[in-house]
Amino acid sequence: MSLGQNWALWRGLMRWMAIKMTSRRRFLAGLLATGLVPKPTWADAGSPQYLSAGALPDGSYVLCGIGAANDVLFQIPLPARGHAAAAHPTRPEAVAFARRPGTFAIVIDCVTGMEKSNMSAPEGRHFYGHGAFSADGHWLFTTENDFEAGQGRVGVWDVQAGYRRVDEFASGGVGPHEIKRMPGTDTLVIANGGIDTHPDSGRTKLNIATMAPNLTYIQDGQIVDSVALSHDLHKNSIRHIDIADGQVAFGMQWQGDGEQNVLAGLHRQGEAINLLTAPDAQSRQLRGYVGSIAFSRGGKHIAVTSPVGGVTQVYDVASNALSYQIIAPDAGGVAARGTGFIITNGQGQLGQIDQGALHLGAGSSLAWDNHIVPVGV
Amino acid sequence: MKRLLLAFSVTLVATGAPAQSLSDLTSVALDTHVLPGYARLAAQSQVLADVAQDDCDAASPVLTAAYGDAFDAWIGVSHMRFGPSEVDDRAFALAFWPDSRGVTPRSLLGLISDEDPIGLDAAAYADVSIAARGFYALEFLLYDDAVATAGSDSYRCALIQTVTADIAILTQAIDAEWRDSYADLLRHPSDTGIYRSDEEAAQELFKAVSTGLEFLGDTRLGRPLGTFDRPRPTRAEVWRSQRSQRHVTLSLAALRELALVLSADDVQVHTAMENAFDRAQDRIARIDDPAFAGVSDPSGRFVIEVLQQEISAIRTVVRNELGPKLGVVAGFNALDGD
Repeated sequence: MSLGQNWALWRGLMRWMAIKMTSRRRFLAGLLATGLVPKPTWADAGSPQYLSAGALPDGSYVLCGIGAANDVLFQIPLPARGHAAAAHPTRPEAVAFARRPGTFAIVIDCVTGMEKSNMSAPEGRHFYGHGAFSADGHWLFTTENDFEAGQGRVGVWDVQAGYRRVDEFASGGVGPHEIKRMPGTDTLVIANGGIDTHPDSGRTKLNIATMAPNLTYIQDGQIVDSVALSHDLHKNSIRHIDIADGQVAFGMQWQGDGEQNVLAGLHRQGEAINLLTAPDAQSRQLRGYVGSIAFSRGGKHIAVTSPVGGVTQVYDVASNALSYQIIAPDAGGVAARGTGFIITNGQGQLGQIDQGALHLGAGSSLAWDNHIVPVGV
Repeated sequence: MKRLLLAFSVTLVATGAPAQSLSDLTSVALDTHVLPGYARLAAQSQVLADVAQDDCDAASPVLTAAYGDAFDAWIGVSHMRFGPSEVDDRAFALAFWPDSRGVTPRSLLGLISDEDPIGLDAAAYADVSIAARGFYALEFLLYDDAVATAGSDSYRCALIQTVTADIAILTQAIDAEWRDSYADLLRHPSDTGIYRSDEEAAQELFKAVSTGLEFLGDTRLGRPLGTFDRPRPTRAEVWRSQRSQRHVTLSLAALRELALVLSADDVQVHTAMENAFDRAQDRIARIDDPAFAGVSDPSGRFVIEVLQQEISAIRTVVRNELGPKLGVVAGFNALDGD
């Protein structure tokens, strides 16, 4: 039986599994009570709250676990520049992805700080720097480029088989970037950025004149919904997403000429897109570029970073309007934290945004790279 | 031209001329670089279209010379990807490259084998795929073994006339908009304009230098270099017409011209820019490899790799010295996000 068939089989077995789950859970609980299963958990990794890639002054690259006290709990070398990471829902394991158009991903045991295994993109594919686990943690999904066809793919990797490649399916567009799972479901949401690239030309964008980004929803490998912006926004590359209460927030990067002040929006499956708005004087400060996007806990606010513009903006979800803007030079990563947000920047600082103010920690020689990823979400 | 401009900027520095404002730098850049560059492109493109009307034989030396002159003019402005060149995707239509999937020859062969009437009408030609328009499509029609011999001579002749006429229409539209309105937007920033301060206007020109150098190093040189184990000479830009090295030379000269204007008010940055460009330009002047075929042999490859490093060194000066002077901060994430 091919590995691909295994994955298909898994899809078919899900319903049967659901019936067996209750008894299985009881069985596991029994084992755990006797202390017979020394299965490590995230607590054994020092309970990192976040993961982030970074760059060291000597030109090397690492993936770090960040603790509740903003302390770096572990720092694991990467072979080249990383981008984002995916934290396994239960096992203290993280996958650090190469920045596009990289072909490696490293599975890291966050307890020992050792590389547990590694993944290579199959022939004819490269990664885009993002990935997401299935709800049960059995599968890892990665955004990839089928670069001869110029089409986005989602790679499927069997976690328990040591992160073995088992299948792939269409991402529903070109240049898929961030992928996330709808919490509590196995629906994947993919930001198809729309930009065609080919490794023979590095990061050169090949199709700006005709690019067509979208937001795609996938269940069991099948596209169940896909939304795009109006044609006048077709050069607005949908790149990053966050999800709360079944609602997807997305951040964009303008590839056209001149000013573009619409750079983020909200979407709920089956409904129309709501674009986030701000007064012209503020929105233009994003300089056409949103680097990361995150909901606050509870989902009432959305933060977007713009390292290019040197600002982070917080929007009110109910009104789709700007609440406040913070000057934050070179801030890339953002994630929910406490009642506000944590941000990372290229000066090695972690900052806390609360109530319209930014409290920056001490700088370090480690430049935080692009994204900060919450553990256990 | 390069020598003239050099003399001009050196004089400014040497005589201790009053410090130039950002607005002055932008105006000098417009008057010595941007506007003359687009005027030259429009004029040479018209010559090309006129020549093609008279003589559309791909082997005609008059036609290939006109192609070369107009293409030269395009390379002199190809780093300025903002304003009129981006309206209606004109620059993409003039320059569809790199073409990683071979869409240009496929589109042209489709038109030729169908003898598609759209290929006979310059005004309607704006509706064909951008891959079949502009200078890179024209190179295939003139130099590619398959495309330049496909179908009937009469259709290919008409197609060459159409493509060149389309190039003339596009470049005239760009030139006219620059002269009529866009230059003023940069010269006179306003609270409601595209550029709201002199700094924003100068930063647009800075971005042209920075992205132009990136394209030069990563794409014009990076594509043919490929990897040591797998060099890719036929991925070089315009290798069929043996213009690959020429484009790098011309592009370096154009980028130098603009970078030196933007640094004219600061002796230290100006000198650093000059030195960095000197090294790269001296290097390429000693290379004789028109189509970068040398990427496939170790010694030929080595000199092109060194040239690529010299271009990286220019980028470093641009990022660390010219950028901060113009208010562009070089942050780790800001520079190279994703």
